[in-house]
Amino acid sequence: MDESRATRLVQNALRCYPARWRRRHGEEAAELAALLLRDGTPAGSIAFSYLAGATREWLTPRPGRRLRLAACALLVTAGSLGLSGGLLPSTAPARAAVTSQPHGPAHCRPGPPEPGPGVIPAIGGPHVIGWETGHGRAC
Amino acid sequence: MSGRDGRAGQDVLRRVGEASVLILISLADGPKHGYALIQDIKELAGVELGPGTLYGALDRLERLGLIESLPADDRRHPYRITAPGAAALRVHLESLERVSAAGRLRLQLGGI
Repeated sequence: MDESRATRLVQNALRCYPARWRRRHGEEAAELAALLLRDGTPAGSIAFSYLAGATREWLTPRPGRRLRLAACALLVTAGSLGLSGGLLPSTAPARAAVTSQPHGPAHCRPGPPEPGPGVIPAIGGPHVIGWETGHGRAC
Repeated sequence: MSGRDGRAGQDVLRRVGEASVLILISLADGPKHGYALIQDIKELAGVELGPGTLYGALDRLERLGLIESLPADDRRHPYRITAPGAAALRVHLESLERVSAAGRLRLQLGGI
């Protein structure tokens, strides 16, 4: 592997670290990699070591990161509660319609209309049609 | 022991991993930067520390207050062992010596 490709590979691995780590160690780590490459250490092995280090760095819990995670979780929970709270009023009329059906007058109940004389009711037909094709009276 | 106060008696290095112990041993005779640490540990223990492992261990040791970073020399940060770090290393090495003496004794007694 030529030098520029090796350097690029290591630099890409270093980009996987969190920004805070890169600010602290980035330049030094690049310099160390250059020295190790000069000594003949394979670029792949250096890049792999940095990748493993970056993974550990992301997975290690930090006090600040824990606080941010907690804040995010709180925000998501609050958001979902607000969303479901907003949905409740919008679903209320539909539920009210469903629950009030048995109490309403017979012509407002869902289901097939009373078959007229000589009409055979369809078995298993869609009930909603009966609701919409009532007597045309407001319920 | 909290790790920062360096009180003798408890071995805080028991759980930090081999790389951290080797770094402390390497820093025991004076400050070094990353490359010098890798070279010294290779010579001292025959262990080749990867650069990712090195920085992970340096961060951990610094958080524990066992080493400190000195002002950058060019782009390199030398690291120095702190007094609590030296105390912790001493406790750890004594603990290792006790274990190693017990191991040797048992091998003798067992006649293996």
